[in-house]
Amino acid sequence: MAIEAFVIDPNDNVATLFIHQGARGSSIKVQIDGKDAEIQLRDNVPFAHKFAIRPIRKGEQVIKYGYSIGTATEDIEPGQHVHIHNTESNRGRGDLAGSSPSSGAGK
Amino acid sequence: MKKQLRNTWMGYRRPDGQAGARNSLLLLSGTLYANSVIERLGHMIANTTVITHPLGRCQVMPDLRLTRKTLVGTALNPNCGGVIVIDHHRETGCTAEEMAHDIAKSGKPVEAINIRESGGAIEATARGLRIALDMLRKISTQNREEVPVSELIYGLNCGTSDTTSGISSNKAVGYCSDMIIDQGGRSILAETTEMLGGEQVLAARAATPQIADRIWEITKRMEQRALASGEDIRGSQPTGDNILGGLSSIEEKSLGAIQKSGTKPIVGVVDYAEPIGREPGLYIMDTPGHGGESITGIAAAGSQILTFSTGGGHTINHPLMVTIRLTGNKTSFEKMRDTVELDVSDIFQGMSIEEAGMRVYNEVIETASGKLTKCEILRENNAFAIHRIGISI
Repeated sequence: MAIEAFVIDPNDNVATLFIHQGARGSSIKVQIDGKDAEIQLRDNVPFAHKFAIRPIRKGEQVIKYGYSIGTATEDIEPGQHVHIHNTESNRGRGDLAGSSPSSGAGK
Repeated sequence: MKKQLRNTWMGYRRPDGQAGARNSLLLLSGTLYANSVIERLGHMIANTTVITHPLGRCQVMPDLRLTRKTLVGTALNPNCGGVIVIDHHRETGCTAEEMAHDIAKSGKPVEAINIRESGGAIEATARGLRIALDMLRKISTQNREEVPVSELIYGLNCGTSDTTSGISSNKAVGYCSDMIIDQGGRSILAETTEMLGGEQVLAARAATPQIADRIWEITKRMEQRALASGEDIRGSQPTGDNILGGLSSIEEKSLGAIQKSGTKPIVGVVDYAEPIGREPGLYIMDTPGHGGESITGIAAAGSQILTFSTGGGHTINHPLMVTIRLTGNKTSFEKMRDTVELDVSDIFQGMSIEEAGMRVYNEVIETASGKLTKCEILRENNAFAIHRIGISI
C-alpha cells in the first residue's frame, strides 16, 4: 500500500507528503498517534513537502523526528504547507546580530 | 534471508595488511601545476586513477599540512596498488619526494617525478609512461582473495538531500552500517554541519562521555563558522536543491542526515582526513557538509567503499574510494539513473527498512568485490576536493 504522508515521531506536529502533488482541499491519509486520520490540505503541497497536522502558533517549535526543526513565524493551521515561508531555523543564524551558538536547541 | 548473508568479500591484500576493493595505479598531482601532466598520463595509460586539485602552493602552513595529509592518506587508501606522484618545481613541505617517502612506508610501490628536473612537461610525461608500464605489469599480477567484512571501512555520506532521504535511503544505509559493524567492521559518518540540530541524538550514542563532549565541540565550532559569516546559514545549508526538496532548515536536514549512522555506539571522533581507530564501530569525522570535501576526507582515512544517499540524484564519485549512489526518490532515480545505482523508493510502497538495508549491503559486498559502479564505467570524477582551513597567501 502506497504511503500518502509520513509522521515520524508521536510528538511531531508536521507530516511529510509522499504523493505526487497534494492539491488544496484534498484529504490526505495519515497516521497520528497510531490512529488513521485524514487531514484536508489548506494549501497546494508539493511532493516531499510538509503540512501541519496540529495547530502551530507563531513562535512555537515545528517538530519533526521528535525534535525542533525551527520556529513558526506565523500561526499555522492543520493542512497548511509548512516550509521556509512560515518556519525559521534556530541554528547557524549569522544574520541575527550578536547571536551565539545555541547548541542544544530542541533538547 | 540471513542465511544467505555474505560475510566476506573479495579484495586485494596490501603489504601493510589492509585490503583494497580496487587495484588502481594512482596518478597523483602534488600541486596544481602538475595537473596537466597527470591528466595527459591518465589519457594515455590503461587502468589508472587520476587525482588533480588546485592546491599545494601558497597555503598557510596548517592548510598546507592538511593538503599533504589528505594527499598522502589518499595514496595510502588500500584501493590503490601503486602510486606515481608528480610536482612541478620545489614546494615547501609538500613535495612529490616527501609524499612518496610517506607513502613508501606502506610497502606499496611509489615513484616521484619532478617536472623541472625531468626536463619539462614532455619529458616528465615520458618518465611517467615508463614508470607506469613497469608498475602496472607488477601490480596487475595480484589477485583478489577472500576478506572478512570486518576489514571494511564503510563510508557514509549524503547530498542533494530531500525529505525522502531521512525516511528511506539514509535509513537503509544505516541498516547496512549496523550489519557491517555487527561483523566487526567500521563505518565513518562525517558532515559536521549536518549534525546541527541532531547533536543530542548522536551524543546519546557516544561510547564515552569524552566522545559525547567531542561531538558537542565539533558541532559548536562548525556553527561558529556559520555565525561568523554574518549571514543566515539557510541557502548554504540547506542548499537550494534541499529546499526545493522540502527541507526547511539545517535542523531538519541534520535529523534526516544522521539516520545514515544506524544505531550503533559512536566509538571515536577524528579530525579531517585522520585515520580512525582499530576498534570496530561507528566513527565520526569532523568535515564540512560539502560532499566532495567530506568524502575526500573519508577516503584519506582508508575507507574502501562509500554509499552516497541522495534525494535529487547525484553524479558525485570519488576517483579511488568506490562510491555507490542510492535514492529513495523514484522520480530522481528515473531522471538520474545513469549515475545512481540503487533505487530504494519501494520503501514508500511498503518495503521494510530491513529489506532495503539488505539491498544496500549486498550491493556494497558485490561492488567491493569488483562489480563496477555506473560512475566508474562513465569515468565520472567529480568529488576530489581537499578541505581548506586557511586562505591563500
